[in-house]
Amino acid sequence: MNLPADTILSMALLSILFSFGSSRLPGLIKVLAFQGVVVCIVPLFLDQEMSTGGIVFTIATLAIRGFIIPGCIYLAIKKVAIGREVEPIVGFHASMLVGLLLIVGASFASHRFDIPSSSISVLLLPTAISLLGAGMFLLMARRNAIAMVLGYIMMENGIYLVGTTFSVRARHIVEFGILLDVLAGVMIMAVILQNIKQTFDDVDTARLRTLKE
Amino acid sequence: MILEIVFLIPFFTGAAALFLPNTVGQVLLILTGAIHLILSVMVWIGQLSPMLPEFFAVTPEGLLSLLVISLLFFLISIYTISYLKLSDIRKKNIFTGSMLLFLSTMTMVTLSDHIMVMWIAIEATTLASAPLIYTNRSKASLEATWKYVLICSVGIAMALLGSVLVTVSMDVAKLDAPISFSAMTKVAGSMDPMWLKAGFVFILVGYGTKMGLAPMHTWLPDAHSEAPSPASALLSGVLLNCAYLGIFKTNKIMHAAGLADFSGPILIVFGLISMMAAATYILKQTEYKRMLAYSSIENMGIIAFGTGIGGLGAYGAMICLIHHSLIKSSLFLTSGNILLGFGSRLIDQVGDLLGRMPKTFVAFFGGFAGISGFPPFGIFIGELLIIIGAFRTGNYLEAGLFIFILCVIFAGFANNIMKISFNTTKASLRINESAGLVWPQYVLLFTSLVLCFWMPDTLYQTIIHAVNAIGGGLQ
Repeated sequence: MNLPADTILSMALLSILFSFGSSRLPGLIKVLAFQGVVVCIVPLFLDQEMSTGGIVFTIATLAIRGFIIPGCIYLAIKKVAIGREVEPIVGFHASMLVGLLLIVGASFASHRFDIPSSSISVLLLPTAISLLGAGMFLLMARRNAIAMVLGYIMMENGIYLVGTTFSVRARHIVEFGILLDVLAGVMIMAVILQNIKQTFDDVDTARLRTLKE
Repeated sequence: MILEIVFLIPFFTGAAALFLPNTVGQVLLILTGAIHLILSVMVWIGQLSPMLPEFFAVTPEGLLSLLVISLLFFLISIYTISYLKLSDIRKKNIFTGSMLLFLSTMTMVTLSDHIMVMWIAIEATTLASAPLIYTNRSKASLEATWKYVLICSVGIAMALLGSVLVTVSMDVAKLDAPISFSAMTKVAGSMDPMWLKAGFVFILVGYGTKMGLAPMHTWLPDAHSEAPSPASALLSGVLLNCAYLGIFKTNKIMHAAGLADFSGPILIVFGLISMMAAATYILKQTEYKRMLAYSSIENMGIIAFGTGIGGLGAYGAMICLIHHSLIKSSLFLTSGNILLGFGSRLIDQVGDLLGRMPKTFVAFFGGFAGISGFPPFGIFIGELLIIIGAFRTGNYLEAGLFIFILCVIFAGFANNIMKISFNTTKASLRINESAGLVWPQYVLLFTSLVLCFWMPDTLYQTIIHAVNAIGGGLQ
């Protein structure tokens, strides 16, 4: 049991429920920024030794997921007329229920793995699995393109925690996950481009449906 | 000379071409293509050795892909020059620059031995090819780019997770080996099987997205039909192979760990689903470029199926991989001619190819005969070997389904090709076909044809060497 780490991780779990319940983009962006910060500082509270490179990577990831990407999206929706509604395919109440089930399922599933980290922190693996699933869910259950990008970033957070769970070597690998943010950046650019190009003022991916079989 | 130069040269010329005027960029394109081909041949005869041996290595499967990439790129670059003259692409320097950067990243995939370098290189291919798909700057091409980047990003994230799990399987077993594919294959026997299996599944889904395996294939038809034809030829002929390489190398570890019984059936199922998805959409297809894209999904399915079967099937899959690249890229280039000539992607709006573009018709029909598995083309030999391999290993039901789907796809494909080639159209004007627009396809098809009758011994040995690791061979 590691109290500080588990407290932080429980905040990450809460952020999943908040993100599922937020109906407007500014709120969702703030929740994701908070989650980015929370997830990135977790390794600092685990009793594993960290190299200088590891600390630099942690800070870089923190800066990108906690501030740069949310900031860019925030500016983008202010400057370009992007719709503020997340346009759910699955309603908010149902989403919350899915979120709860996801967390319960993840806790249940993580008990089946016998890994050394459970002695460090009980919430680490459940949170990692929940974040992965929650990111996927947001990708599928929201029509707004920016909300989809935010779902993708949540998935990245999950992968980051999965790596932290296991070993120092695994953590070195997830540090490369920082490169995934480049892809997220490209997606944000595509959304902005689309809005500049088109006269209508929302990023409804339902309108990205002209290409069919 | 150092091995890394093979991907560094296109990287620098590509970066330069982004900022240089278009004419210089086009010279750079052909020049780099030629240099790359020469360097690849030098790699083939063992002249280059890696400066960073823990990250890069020459492997037989990488070597095969590298040579195919190099040959294709050189021919496609020649075609591109003629194509750019006739097309209305506005930012030509971005197009040529991205092509070169794309070449660089794909070369890096073929030469990488480290599990993370491979992952970075495959991610980089997504970044380098996104501008190519967006070249036309229309609403549809933006949609295709968005789909491509989004779906492939999720895939690449899955592959990262898979790579993490593979290293976890080493850590759990307390192995202290480098995480390069060659080192991992050596110690695979003592890796933890549960985590390795999980890692394989995630890597298969992740790179499978990029390779176009159904049901993660949805980006592929859009991206291939919206990209300009030289870019589609590269995407289909080379990019899919690169993603396959990631799966192949992981599958090699699975075989070395004695888990072939686990990975084989998964590959077979994914292969069959992909073929079925392709068959469904080819039958009612209205656009010829999308039809070719679905045919790529079919061929990737065939390759995954053959790899899953192992033995003769694995050898057949390698043959299919090489010939698919050669033939499909020639078909995509030819579809570019049709698009330039008729100005429409719809099959209904195109017709009488024989009368209006006879040279293109020869390339198109030859490509069709090759890709749909007519003897004596290579795809026929490959598919035959896969079917024999499937019967030998007792997969009767799977083999039956495989043959049935091939027949359905052939019927759908042939129907559309006949419409394009012989249907009457209102206009009867001959369309001018310059040499640069048809000869690259002829060379590609001819290479494929020659390889069916006469294969250099070194090439044969390399293929055997590559598939031996996954229990493949001609016995």
